[in-house]
Amino acid sequence: MSCHNTVVLETRHAGRQIIKNGNAIRTVDNVSYAFNKAHIYNLIGPSGAGKSSLLRLLNRLDEPTEGEVRFFDKPLAEYPPTELRRMVSMLFQTPYLFPGTVRDNLQFCCCDLTDDKIGQLLTRVGLDESFAGKDADDLSGGERQRVAIARALSLEPEVLLLDEPTASLDPTSSQTIEDLILRLSEELCLTTIIVTHHPNQALRLGGETLFLVKGRLVETGKTEKVLKDPETELARKYINRELR
Amino acid sequence: MIETGYMQVLAAAALAVLAIVLAKVKAIPVGKEIAFGTVRSFVQLVAVGYALEFIFNTKSFWLVALSVAVMTVVGAYTAAQRAKHFTGGFFIALISISAGSLVTLGLMLALRIITPEARYIIPLAGMIISNTMNAGAVTFDRISSDLKDHRLAVETALALGKTWRQASLRFYRNAVKAGMISILNFMKTVGIVALPGAMTGMILAGASPLEAVLIQVIVGYMLISSVSIASILAGEMAIRRFFNAAEQFVG
Repeated sequence: MSCHNTVVLETRHAGRQIIKNGNAIRTVDNVSYAFNKAHIYNLIGPSGAGKSSLLRLLNRLDEPTEGEVRFFDKPLAEYPPTELRRMVSMLFQTPYLFPGTVRDNLQFCCCDLTDDKIGQLLTRVGLDESFAGKDADDLSGGERQRVAIARALSLEPEVLLLDEPTASLDPTSSQTIEDLILRLSEELCLTTIIVTHHPNQALRLGGETLFLVKGRLVETGKTEKVLKDPETELARKYINRELR
Repeated sequence: MIETGYMQVLAAAALAVLAIVLAKVKAIPVGKEIAFGTVRSFVQLVAVGYALEFIFNTKSFWLVALSVAVMTVVGAYTAAQRAKHFTGGFFIALISISAGSLVTLGLMLALRIITPEARYIIPLAGMIISNTMNAGAVTFDRISSDLKDHRLAVETALALGKTWRQASLRFYRNAVKAGMISILNFMKTVGIVALPGAMTGMILAGASPLEAVLIQVIVGYMLISSVSIASILAGEMAIRRFFNAAEQFVG
């Protein structure tokens, strides 16, 4: 498969304002950025920076109140939401597996998924084929996350949105997920946008990094550059604190 | 047959006094509520008795319709108090209670189970409305709590390209079932655990037990029909309030 440097997703002055307890809060503020095919992007920044909020705009789980988000140069609103989300798939911080077996979960999106295909999906995320018959409740945190990724992959998406996928995992499981993200991006030409709190994780994943503060894009560029030689004082302070 | 008059009611009030004394002795803070409830229920029921006597005697269709309408509005208002996490609860309750009542009573009239007389319509409408009101309230409550508690499950399904209906289907089904659970339990245990009020009332009033049982069976079927209609409609309309046209969870 050949990977092209085409723009898959693009935000144009995208913003979102919500009303909480009577107060207007801007969770995403005037974010413009183009995400290319087969690249990895790290969204990094302090709590409340709007990382998850931005991610939710990208597959239209939330609507921007200003600006727009485009997928293959068409506004998201021009796609039926269900079709869009099959192409721009999102995983949450705590992976939710539906009651039943791993097979049931993998067939959640495509009910005609064959055993062969289920086996391939499990192998792709580093799990043995025998996992198909296991009860989803009996899996460890890392296994749950991998099954959730396999379930998203069953849709053959263009973009994978990951909201802190290793937040609740031990270091070994986190490493496994990071390796998996790197491998999938390369093998499947998958555009991966990942929210993380950890500059070290972003450094391991490489690609590009978007540093957000209070919903605004403060700094962007190659991950090495943004995290090791940040241009802004805000980014420098945060990264130094987190890397300490 | 014992004659029932105000003297008998006054004598029965001694039972309420017994409850007040018990509450006082055990320092359970419900004495005032029992006293208030005793007087209030007497006043309300006697007033209703006079109103029903008047309506039955005038045989006015409009008075019957007005009575049913007032019961429906009060029932919808009460059920809507459980619709805390979405808007339009009153209208949803009004539509579901009205549909449950009209379809069931209409069928009973069409099938000649009852005749269009106030003495049938008003008591049966009262039973239907109170049961559909409870069913609607439980359905609202369950939908709100389930969708709030299982936001991650719903959004996971949406994020995987499911429609709002697919993402919320099991919560809708659970909520509708919860709304019907009371009448389902009633139908399972009727006659074994307790004799229902309508049947007991008929027997106390001198009807033969078999006649009372047959009426009770009809009432049971009437209630399962009306509660099913009301729960399904309340569930359908309430769950839609948690999603918008872009298949986003907005609850």
